Amino acid sequence: MDPRTRLGLLSCVGMLAICLDAPISLALLAGCCVLPLVWLRVSAVWWRRGLVAVLTVVWSTVISQGLFYAEQPRVSLLQLGPLHLYREGVMHGLAQSLRFIALSLAGIGLTVSTPPDRLYAALLALRVPFGLALMASTALRFLPELGEQMQVVRRARRHRGRPAWQRAPWRWLALEVTLLRPVVARAWRRAQRLAESLDARGFDPVAPRAVRRPLHMRARDWAVLWAAGVLASGVVTARLLYLLYTSETWYWPALRPLYGFTRNWL
Amino acid sequence: MSVLRLRDAGYRYPSADSPSVAGVSLDVEAGELVLLTGPTGCGKSTLLRLVAGLLQRHGQGEVLGSVSVLGTAPGSWAPHERVQRLGFVSQEPDDQLVAGTVGDEVAFGLESAGWARERMAPRIAEMLEGVGLEVALDRDTRALSGGQTQRLVVAAAGAAGGPVLLLDEPLAQLDPRGAERLLAGLRTLADGGVAVVMVEHRLEPCLPCCDRLVVMESGAVVADLPPSELRPGSAGLATLRRLGLSVPGLLDLEDRLAGRDHDALQPLARTEAHRRFGPEIIGVDDVEWAWPKAAEPALRGVSLAVSAGERVALVGANGAGKSTLLAALAGHLDRRLGRRPEALVAVPQDPDLALFQDRVSTELAYGPEEAGLSADDVQTRVTAAAHALSVTELMDRAPQALSRGQRLRVAVAAALACAPEVLLLDEPTSGQDHDQVAHMMEALREQLAEGALIFATHDLALALREATRVVVVERGRVSADGPPDDVLRALPPDSPLFLPPLARLCVSRGWPLLSAAALAGGQ
Repeated sequence: MDPRTRLGLLSCVGMLAICLDAPISLALLAGCCVLPLVWLRVSAVWWRRGLVAVLTVVWSTVISQGLFYAEQPRVSLLQLGPLHLYREGVMHGLAQSLRFIALSLAGIGLTVSTPPDRLYAALLALRVPFGLALMASTALRFLPELGEQMQVVRRARRHRGRPAWQRAPWRWLALEVTLLRPVVARAWRRAQRLAESLDARGFDPVAPRAVRRPLHMRARDWAVLWAAGVLASGVVTARLLYLLYTSETWYWPALRPLYGFTRNWL
Repeated sequence: MSVLRLRDAGYRYPSADSPSVAGVSLDVEAGELVLLTGPTGCGKSTLLRLVAGLLQRHGQGEVLGSVSVLGTAPGSWAPHERVQRLGFVSQEPDDQLVAGTVGDEVAFGLESAGWARERMAPRIAEMLEGVGLEVALDRDTRALSGGQTQRLVVAAAGAAGGPVLLLDEPLAQLDPRGAERLLAGLRTLADGGVAVVMVEHRLEPCLPCCDRLVVMESGAVVADLPPSELRPGSAGLATLRRLGLSVPGLLDLEDRLAGRDHDALQPLARTEAHRRFGPEIIGVDDVEWAWPKAAEPALRGVSLAVSAGERVALVGANGAGKSTLLAALAGHLDRRLGRRPEALVAVPQDPDLALFQDRVSTELAYGPEEAGLSADDVQTRVTAAAHALSVTELMDRAPQALSRGQRLRVAVAAALACAPEVLLLDEPTSGQDHDQVAHMMEALREQLAEGALIFATHDLALALREATRVVVVERGRVSADGPPDDVLRALPPDSPLFLPPLARLCVSRGWPLLSAAALAGGQ
């Protein structure tokens, strides 16, 4: 799939995540965003980590929104001493967390499935300035390596000292901060070398460049983009019409089934 | 006219009181391959950056004298002119990658220079063949081994056909065969009219290919001679020895024999390799390991047991699995794999990532303090480790701000301060000159007399000199394991590892594989 198609799909997911409000449809959207990761055969370890992260986000958002929901009307589901867990807050928290998860999954799917150089080419083709496109693709390439470097630093520290948890929490925290030092120093050194390499190889953020591998949109790309665009536009239109109705700006009786569908499902 | 012309050239860094490089006058003609060498920190890399125009454009220090490349000042070139006039490769090839695939990496300079698309494909193929890199163009650059990445950045730097190519330690991560192929590629480029200037510590493989040897000391050029003038008893050779630089083995032997014929040599037998060692101290059994997204497993059923008192060199081609085997021994792959003592320290290939304190003294004290030693004992350990690795004068400096060779020495000193039973080192010679490596290995021999040292290296001369046992790793398997003499003597002719000339002489004469000093000392 052309990387521009993927960027287009990401934009559609963004539009849907903003316009959808019903937890069920947001859950469906998040489910669709998982599909690229299934296709990419992400390792079991990452699935486990991802699941923990998703559950943490959903749980913490639902609980915090459920406890501190201030709008009226609200229905108490549970009383915990002086605190109430409100149904409306729970639903709101669920929608917010699913929105975040859908967007995050779409972003992760894009970055994991698209080599940075292809993303860079797509950004250039979409007329993003050369310097900005190169910066974005380079950052995407280096960010995962920062995690790996942290792991190397932790191992190096572990060989020379006690386990991190065998000390007071504030000392642990201070140690964690010191572990960033080599990674930052390494990143700085790397940025310098990369800048030199770019400089020596004629990098010019504003000059036109030749392109070795131009991108090609195939019929399949257009079909996918068209389908996603129609779906996103349809949802946006339905949401706008519903908004006009609820704000008593414009009402058309023939659209009553659409209003009902939007309220219940979107 | 000289392609490259320096007159009293120099550079003073903004934070320095005196210039790091000063008074350098040098001319390089088209088609010349110049080998620039000198002790660590003598200003070689600074000089290379000055010639590339990088310091003029980005440095905030003072440029001294004049530097001209192709008759103009390199600092004044427009970006598209730079790439067509000069290629530059710095140390740390991984840090210089700008594209996601091999093809795009080589094409980057061509795109900057505005080459037509149909001309790019043959040029990319030509450059990759020239450096001996046989991988698919769509291969992810992050999936390449260190040696492959090194060759890729050289190909990428020279792709746009600039008549000047500058390289900073291009052989640092290459196995002997890879180094040989790259040097042949550079010779071909030079024969085609490119002026090549290469900074390198490993003189032995470079000298046969180069036209001139330029030696630097404390920011100045102290010798400039053709390699043919490096003869026994010559002033050039004396300079190399005085500066602690590596002297090619055969030349070293002839110089030490001072006119005597080496046919008459009756070298001493090597005895240390056959000494008895203590009980097993670390080991792994039948390890299988594949890195995610790798085309082939990194380790295939590898077993290795190392005893106390052994110094084991893991040798093999780039990507053979040496570093993965070290990781398995250290328990980094899976702690349940194998047996290892508590007191084990592994220094990563990139020493930066082992240095997390704000001063060298606290870096060295971290391990002993964590072990709960008294302040006096901590100080004793720190002093001993600093002395052993020659970092005493660096104690108040930030480890991250040191040169690569110094950072490696501090990382090893910090490891030694922990008094490990087993020390694992990945490429301990990187960025260090001959004397520093020799000094470091001497310290390790003493400190780990009762423990074990396991190090991965491409440097067979180092393995021969320092190891009591050599393990050859080949495509994820151990293909040979035993005393260095036996293992290296039996290397097949098509092995990516091949013996240095002196060792080849020893094999041909049926002598033990000894250093020039040991051979000459046997008389």
